[in-house]
Amino acid sequence: MESAKRSEALREEMELHLAEKAAELEAEGMTPERARSEARRRFGNVGLKYEESREIWMTRFWSELAQDVRYGCRTMASNKAFSALAILSLALGIGANTAIYSLMESILFRSLPVADPESLVVLNWRSHPPQNANKEWVHVVHRIQGRFWLGDKGTLVTGIFPYAAFETLREEKNVFSTLFGYFDGKKRALTVHGQATVASVEFVTGEYFRSLGVLPVAGRLINSEDDRPGAEPVAVLSFSASQNRFGGPSNAIGQSILVDSIPFTVVGVAPPEFFGVDPAVSPDLYLPLHTNLLVDGAEAAEMYGDENFYWLEVMGRLSPGVTIEQAQAALAPRFHQWVATTAKTEGERANLPALILNPGAGGLGSLRRQYSKPLYVLLAMVALILAVTCVNIANLLLARAASRRREIAVRLSLGAGRFRIVRQLLTESVTLALLGGALGVIFAIWGVQSLTFLFSGGQENFTLRAELNWNVLAVTAALSVVSGLLFGLAPAIQVTRPDVMPALKYGRVSGSRSRLQPVLVVAQIAMSFVILVAAGLFVRTLNKLQSVQLGYGRENILLFSLNARQAGHRAPELATFYADLRKRFETIPGVSSVTFSHASILTAGHAGATYRGTMKIGAVTIEGAGVMAVGPRFLTTMQIPILAGREIEDRDQSESPPVAVISERLARTYFGNENPIGRRIALVDINRDVEIIGVSGNVRYGGLKNDGYPMTVFLAASQFPPDQVTYALRAVGDPLSYIRSVNEIVREADSRIPVTNVVTQAAEIDRTIRRETVFAKLSTGFAVLALLIACVGLYGITSYNVARQAGEIGIRMALGAQRGAVVRMVLRRVLILAAAGLAISVPAALIASQLVKSLLFETQPNDPGTLALAGVILVSAAILAGYVPARRASRIDPVAALRNE
Amino acid sequence: MGRKPKKNDSLPGSLDMLILRALSLRDLHGYGIVQFIQQSSGNELLIEEGSLYPALQRLELNGWIQGAWGVTPNNRRARIYKITAAGRKQLEVETRKYAKLTLAIERVMGMA
Repeated sequence: MESAKRSEALREEMELHLAEKAAELEAEGMTPERARSEARRRFGNVGLKYEESREIWMTRFWSELAQDVRYGCRTMASNKAFSALAILSLALGIGANTAIYSLMESILFRSLPVADPESLVVLNWRSHPPQNANKEWVHVVHRIQGRFWLGDKGTLVTGIFPYAAFETLREEKNVFSTLFGYFDGKKRALTVHGQATVASVEFVTGEYFRSLGVLPVAGRLINSEDDRPGAEPVAVLSFSASQNRFGGPSNAIGQSILVDSIPFTVVGVAPPEFFGVDPAVSPDLYLPLHTNLLVDGAEAAEMYGDENFYWLEVMGRLSPGVTIEQAQAALAPRFHQWVATTAKTEGERANLPALILNPGAGGLGSLRRQYSKPLYVLLAMVALILAVTCVNIANLLLARAASRRREIAVRLSLGAGRFRIVRQLLTESVTLALLGGALGVIFAIWGVQSLTFLFSGGQENFTLRAELNWNVLAVTAALSVVSGLLFGLAPAIQVTRPDVMPALKYGRVSGSRSRLQPVLVVAQIAMSFVILVAAGLFVRTLNKLQSVQLGYGRENILLFSLNARQAGHRAPELATFYADLRKRFETIPGVSSVTFSHASILTAGHAGATYRGTMKIGAVTIEGAGVMAVGPRFLTTMQIPILAGREIEDRDQSESPPVAVISERLARTYFGNENPIGRRIALVDINRDVEIIGVSGNVRYGGLKNDGYPMTVFLAASQFPPDQVTYALRAVGDPLSYIRSVNEIVREADSRIPVTNVVTQAAEIDRTIRRETVFAKLSTGFAVLALLIACVGLYGITSYNVARQAGEIGIRMALGAQRGAVVRMVLRRVLILAAAGLAISVPAALIASQLVKSLLFETQPNDPGTLALAGVILVSAAILAGYVPARRASRIDPVAALRNE
Repeated sequence: MGRKPKKNDSLPGSLDMLILRALSLRDLHGYGIVQFIQQSSGNELLIEEGSLYPALQRLELNGWIQGAWGVTPNNRRARIYKITAAGRKQLEVETRKYAKLTLAIERVMGMA
């Protein structure tokens, strides 16, 4: 600012000079052109002189800055305890902010590491969900493979399209320079040199890599020639997969691999920074889209021809000069026109999907949707902590300023400008903040690591690419400077106020009582309270979740999945294979019982059940029941109580009469008080009947946050065999210690089958409440930190006041005041400050807690218990902080105090 | 333009002195200072006009002169400089130093 103004003035002066000189020369009879050039000649090099002039005061600025920094460092060194405390608390505050911001940067702001990410768009569509959940959804979407999420105004949004839609939109050449598609191929068995492991696969269209502008580190990437039915099957590896499986990109090229027992040739390796288009996942293997015909066989063939089967995700690159709005305006009618032709009935035509384009620079938004709100809440909390820290340091500086008044007053009276001294004091505080920031970066490195660990919760395929890049460090530096100015400004202005002149005369530091200090302490208490309430709400949410009754056992169970179908096993041998393995696992010493099901209880809701059609009891259709295909001893192993009859056992073979076990709630709903044993359920779609042989306790599946206990029908896996199964092993001791034996048995049975998703039941359950656990832990930590800092502030101001009033207290005691009375007097002031802080922050906390409502579980944002507890904690902490100085006050020796007066 | 005017580079620092001297008589803007030096030296001293501006910045930073926006005799907006009390003291110091120096030179040259 200052510098720009001066530069401008200088330029104007020089121009005036040249103009006047030229005018004078012209008056002497020169032509205007001659006069102008002569004026310039006499002036010398204008640009050079301008720079020289500027340099003179720029040099001065820097030398003064250096002088101020040196002076500041000396002051800091002479006040080691204060400086250390300030730097440490700033480092915690700035470090926490840096860590959270680096997560935000990686999840919310960072662009894909591809060429020109800004011109990428993601194609989505939205539609209104069915009005009544029980009614069949009348819609052109008949089959789906992919995710939906909630959009504005209760619409459902998704990014999946039928293949025909992709082909239609691909023709819109004036809008997109290229359009490409992909879909998540999920986990597949990848066999390299005869060794089977699990790899996540992404199926991509031929334009995928070319459109993204990604270059291979070795070999070549997939092109349009590879993506045709019948083309030679080729694969591209991710950089890390090439290292893990082949020991480097160049070794992998030309190698033969098996994906679900189909041979592929590795033709190239993607660059290390490339992770596809979804920041939430990182595929190990990229395969041409049409190779799913080889890998998945007949099922996949249906995907291409069916115009009502939605599965392909699509992104495009806008043609140069086309905005996203223009593209939307051009494409939406085109898509509408196409999708209208796929509607089979009037009902379907009434609610057609509407195309929407979203910016694609950051890739797909699954992580953003999941984490943006939690991250903003965390950022708000750490910002509050930094604010509390700044206020605290401002307060300490104010207290210290009292002792510096004499020094400042001397300098002012010797003619130093007030601005100059303020500038010097601010340099001092900014230096302090920058040191805090530098140390904070070290805390942040550690913080990012632990945050990534916390958020991942031990999940292996969790990808968070948070790092301290230049972008993050720049924000940290800016934050440090702003903090320094923030906490330095008030004390600097206060200490240079002209009315401090008497300080010079008296030389005493007692001075007038600062009006700012109590205000700052109240602000600190208020901010701490808000953080405390947030922490209370999150801890309560976690407690509620942890006390949810599951209806099944949590401890001593090991879960793992096998997919023998991918290794080539087919029905009916598949079912016996799984059943035989179960018996072999039961022979492991220490294992008490083993069972399996089509998916674990938690994931059973969304994993494909073996029967998904209509079920009837007599003429009554069963509404809202889940189906689980389970092996023998499922209820025993999972500790689900058997309320009547028996559970599914070994004797229920594929050729014996089909049986089912139903949950208590289903029994109550459809049989009332009748005995359901022996009654039958009709599986209408496959025209089969099952006999009810038992009633189980209610099981809460799908996750802890799903309300209630859905009704469950357990079918025998031998009679309704699933492709993939999840085994559950009940054993003594640490379930994870049985992994070795499990792996050995599976390898003996068939070495081509990898053991996947190995996890203890407890860990799988905890994973579903990972976010709540992280929030409870972090916010508790933040609350403790804020409270600690606020207490230091309160302690500081109370000590200061006690020291200032030593004389007064001495007189009171000399006049017969009891020690208890002195303690009470001091504490009363502390409590007034705490009460003032609470009075401000209770309404603030009530408003703020509404914002986190969606992150809570069975906890009201205005939960009175939490508010009361936070208040009690705050007041107790305040009393504790005030008690030490209060006690000191009561020990004042009246004689000594009065002598000093 | 027949004769080559003598550039003021023989005595370093003397430009500062000349500026202070000019301003000690009257408040002037940049070009006014140049004109004053030229005229009062009978057109003997032709300073490199561009060097004036770094010098003005230096003097102002040292607190010897002070610039403020004003109007020139020709009614144009310009920064008008005035000498400060510290500047007058500095002028005395420099004048004494200069007198000493010239006296020394004259002695060497056998003129004194």
